[in-house]
Amino acid sequence: MSELYDLLQDINILTLLILVPLIGAVLTFFTGKNEKAARMLPIIFSATTLVLATLMLLGFDFGNAGINNYQYTEQYDWVPSLGITYHLGVDGISVPMVWLTALLCFLAILFSWDVKNRTKEYMGLMLVLEVGVMGVFMTLDFFLFYIFWEIVLIPMFFLISIWGGPRREYAAIKFFIYTHIASLVLLLAIFAMYFVAGGTSFDMIYIQQQGMSWALEFQVMMFLALFFGFGVKMPIVPFHTWLPDAHVEAPTAGSVLLAGLLLKMGAYGLIRVAIPTLPAGARELQWLIIIVAIVSILYGALASLAQKDLKKMVAFSSISHMGIVLLGFATFSAVGIAAGVFQMFAHGLITAVLFMVCGVAQHIAGTREIPKLGGLAHKMPWYATFMMIGFLASLGLPGLVGFAAEMPVFFSYGFMNGEWNWLILIPIASVVITAAYYIWSMQRVLFGPLTEKIDTHHLHDVSWFEAAPLAVLCIFIIFFGLQPGLIYDYIRPVAEAISALVPMGV
Amino acid sequence: MADYTAILPLIVLAIFGILAPAVRILGKSDKATAIWALAGVLLSAFFVIDFYLSYPPGSAVDFEGVVELNYFSALFMLLFLSVAGYVIIASLRYVDKEKHTGEYYALILLATTGMMVVAGALDLITLFVGIELTSLSSYALVAFRKTSKRGSEAATKYFIIGALSSAIGLFGISLLYGVTAQFPEVLVGSNPLTFENIGAAVSAAMGTPMEPVVFLAAVLLIAGFGFKIALVPFHMWAPDVYEGAPTTITAMLAAGSKKMGIIALFKVFLIGLIAMKTDWTLLIGAIAILTMTVGNVIAVSQTSLKRMLAYSSIAQAGYILIALPVAAVSDPTVASYGLAGGFFHMITHAFMKGGAFLIVAGLSTVAVGENVADYKGLAKRAPWIAFAMMIMLFSLAGIPPLAGFWSKYVLFSGAIDAWQLNEQNNWMFWLAIAGILNSALSLYYYARVVKNMYVEKGPQDKVRVPMAMAVAIGICFVAVIGIGLYPQPFIQACLDAAHAFLGI
Repeated sequence: MSELYDLLQDINILTLLILVPLIGAVLTFFTGKNEKAARMLPIIFSATTLVLATLMLLGFDFGNAGINNYQYTEQYDWVPSLGITYHLGVDGISVPMVWLTALLCFLAILFSWDVKNRTKEYMGLMLVLEVGVMGVFMTLDFFLFYIFWEIVLIPMFFLISIWGGPRREYAAIKFFIYTHIASLVLLLAIFAMYFVAGGTSFDMIYIQQQGMSWALEFQVMMFLALFFGFGVKMPIVPFHTWLPDAHVEAPTAGSVLLAGLLLKMGAYGLIRVAIPTLPAGARELQWLIIIVAIVSILYGALASLAQKDLKKMVAFSSISHMGIVLLGFATFSAVGIAAGVFQMFAHGLITAVLFMVCGVAQHIAGTREIPKLGGLAHKMPWYATFMMIGFLASLGLPGLVGFAAEMPVFFSYGFMNGEWNWLILIPIASVVITAAYYIWSMQRVLFGPLTEKIDTHHLHDVSWFEAAPLAVLCIFIIFFGLQPGLIYDYIRPVAEAISALVPMGV
Repeated sequence: MADYTAILPLIVLAIFGILAPAVRILGKSDKATAIWALAGVLLSAFFVIDFYLSYPPGSAVDFEGVVELNYFSALFMLLFLSVAGYVIIASLRYVDKEKHTGEYYALILLATTGMMVVAGALDLITLFVGIELTSLSSYALVAFRKTSKRGSEAATKYFIIGALSSAIGLFGISLLYGVTAQFPEVLVGSNPLTFENIGAAVSAAMGTPMEPVVFLAAVLLIAGFGFKIALVPFHMWAPDVYEGAPTTITAMLAAGSKKMGIIALFKVFLIGLIAMKTDWTLLIGAIAILTMTVGNVIAVSQTSLKRMLAYSSIAQAGYILIALPVAAVSDPTVASYGLAGGFFHMITHAFMKGGAFLIVAGLSTVAVGENVADYKGLAKRAPWIAFAMMIMLFSLAGIPPLAGFWSKYVLFSGAIDAWQLNEQNNWMFWLAIAGILNSALSLYYYARVVKNMYVEKGPQDKVRVPMAMAVAIGICFVAVIGIGLYPQPFIQACLDAAHAFLGI
């Protein structure tokens, strides 16, 4: 135990990580007509959160990192008659996610510097979103988990429906209803597991320990419910249709958080809750997970290839990349799970760049239609650089962070002793499609002669508030691409422990 | 000398109610009358709270075997008094341009007295008297604006339906009375219509030629109470009445009277007719699902906010009805948990739905219409009121961590609890499923109002809701947020009430 760890434990670091953005949100809502305060306050509060999260990352105790060895834990009674506690704690899987949350929220708020319409509400909602996502990644009580899970919906609903594109109302309601139904199925499963576990405690650790001994039939049923509940959020094909609509209509920062964080919540739920609590059920449904993963990867990639709107292309590519997370989890091997979690982290960094790049295209060139753009690299060299780094990272170029995640996922199928490992050839082949749509769109947008379909006289390179977040993200993409071990060190012990829970062998 | 503890809150409230018109005439002030009525509510509440503080959970005090004060009835007396309290505060400005305000407050207090009688009733006749006291007062209150055509139409409709349903219910009661006379050996005490005696007689009647009579009585009681609660298919009157009544009275009907009907239903079925539960649990379960589904589906297409909220009240009654079959299971822990869910949802619903109606009432005093479209851009015009409305609507939809989420959670999880208990209750799983799907559906029309308030652009002028109404809305707002953040004492109170209700 380091001194830093003790210090952070003493100041209840996890509660602070929830409280700081919450206070920031409330203060921002009350800034009145002061536009400058409405811009500066959220930056200050989200930066503070980022500093705290970084400290938490550094103070993490590697000597004590197995399953159910949660760190910085806090637990207080909340509703004792139902067995609900305010229980927070993080382990190797959640720590990178919490840090990613703090980073992306800070950068998304910075990126939104030029929002002029109802600034304080916009910024306040972003901070509320941060509260919800932080809570999901840190809570160890099922009930609290559900509450944070639902809190996330509301700011996102408003972000899309107030600051979104032309079809924002349709997209917002669709997003709300889709994910709300999924949450309710999740809630049903939580009820059932709570009562079968004795009806005395919502503690995730307690229910997880009970869960392993449940009858196979019940485990399969519960796993299906959880898989649906979490899967819609990831999203998995065929429950993905809310995602392209939500992304296309959402404002850029909203898309960054939606793809960078909200999708991760679904994957996080699977690996934190569904697989460790119901290992036999998960094993029984391995075929389903693998098929869904492969279909999502293929469908997402093919749909991306067909898009004319840059942002819609990126949205579909998210489906494909979240499929890779699922593919890793489906092996139930330590390598596969660790790589899946790392892919969550990597995709969070990369997709943020991709959506910011789309936002800049909309902002500066006035359109995101790929056929209307062309030769932007002539006038916007920095923009072209960021876009290339993002796209190349996303298609899995070695040396960048995406490769360090995808490669081990594919690799992990070699370890699997099931009859399914030959299927891995399909997603590997789909990498070609991924490369195709990224390189092709880059070619059409950045290179060749300058487009004449739009007025190019006013084109200028990225502004500072756009360049700064993009630069930070690109640096991390390269850094963690060269040093993925820094993050894998957090994930690996937990991945090994979860893998050990699942009964392998048929 | 008899122990008056149980009846003191009722006496106090009735006296204050009867004297209210005199206070209006002598004091010549609406404000003084409202304060007088409020004082009656507070004094009555004081006696109920006094009972809470001086007796431990599980204890009961009865008055001559007619009315009982226990942890169940005390909780609901407090609920009804809170509803009366916020309705009176809101009315201070809502009816200040009307005549006959003395009678208005008198009727509110008498209606509340009737509800409290129902909560405490130990026999069917007392129950019926309580229901009638409330109903007759409410008919007059709905018609309070004599010159309003819609109000008069609503009151006429309400009166005819109400009188009919009372007659049907009374017929059911008289049949049960006849049944008790067939089995004098199982009766205890001189009053054959106490719920215990009815329970014993019904139990004895099972398998005898009297069984069809009991069955007929049960059907008549479902129909009679079904009208009062506006269960589908007896719900047609509710939207018209809710829309036509003065909105403060609508709040009272939705938050108070409806709960009274549900309590009466619970008392008759869970204590009186528990012996024949195999006959009615499935029926009630089906009515519950039908009621919530029809209410929500119709609410989606409403353009009038009051009608939308009325249909949503119908749906909410359907949710609460889930508790009835769940509370009939034989395991006492599961039964009391399920029942507590029903009670809890009645309490939270009283505040969130009452609050929503009060907001409509408050805004109508400053010339904001009562249609969903009139709420466009409200967030700019009245930020706090819009925020309160959003909280009420999200709470109704069951978004955490608001009050409505917790009560729905206890309610639906009660059904899951009964489902996993044993094979016979397998179908109860569908109660929870139906409740959850309906919650998702209801989110659609609640979100539409929120969207109008926050996303759409509307008139630019600011509006200020009168102070008194803002205070009443504030009470509901604080209750919804407070129960949401710290539900523990409320859940515990509902569990105590369920234990007292089921006598365990």
